Amino acid sequence: MTLHLLHRHVLEDHLAGFETSPNPNHVSVVRRPVILSVLAHGDLEAFAGRLAAFSTMSARFCGPGEWLVVGSAAGADELTDRLGEVAGLSVCDQSDGKVVMAISGPSVRKILAKCVAVDLHQDVFAEGEGANMLCCHVACHLARTGADAFEIIVPRSFAGSVFEELMEMGREYALTASFAQS
Amino acid sequence: MASLITCPHCGTRPKEEFSIRGAAAPRRPSAGDRDEVWYAYVYVRDNPKGLTQEYWHHAAGCRRFLVVERDTLTHEVFGVTDAAALTRKEAAE
Repeated sequence: MTLHLLHRHVLEDHLAGFETSPNPNHVSVVRRPVILSVLAHGDLEAFAGRLAAFSTMSARFCGPGEWLVVGSAAGADELTDRLGEVAGLSVCDQSDGKVVMAISGPSVRKILAKCVAVDLHQDVFAEGEGANMLCCHVACHLARTGADAFEIIVPRSFAGSVFEELMEMGREYALTASFAQS
Repeated sequence: MASLITCPHCGTRPKEEFSIRGAAAPRRPSAGDRDEVWYAYVYVRDNPKGLTQEYWHHAAGCRRFLVVERDTLTHEVFGVTDAAALTRKEAAE
């Protein structure tokens, strides 16, 4: 039998065979995410507005003139094409190089408090905001997608280490993990 | 050591996210300047007790170079600015 490494998720060995019914605190790993790195040249605020206007994806702020675009509905090619049409934007597909972990639940902030050294209170880090930061000593991107929901984007080769540490920190809150259903 | 730096792009962050890249005060001499001037620019550094300006690279955040003005004695941070914005402002003046 041939092993198709192309479609094998890097967290397969950490997750497959350990499935349980999700607890309130849960990590959901997206199997095939669409992640594009977008760099802008010129009037940065105008680009931020244009990126926000796209409905099929969310643009996560990384730094001045730099965003991570996370999509799900549209395919990577379609999204790249549509973003490529915007003059002054450079788009680079990062889908195979990054892993998306969505963590949610009532204790999510207490779990993340042990992983990141950034204040995640609603007043400082509101819904829809995102930033690059160190999560479990790995440079990653954390975005707030809901009141008690966050998304962590880590480089693929660090995903195993970050995932294991996240689960360790979540053990006292009965954190469970699985691949996203879609 | 100042342990919390308020990055103008990312907000308040721990110092572990940054890499200190040296004094920000020396100004690069022009290419035709004497060797002594270049020697002083490249090698000669003060070790100030008190107010100092340094380049801090926000390696784990926005990856921008920042100019941090801080006190080496009291660890107080007086200001953090984007290095590019500061250069642009100085050029405009």
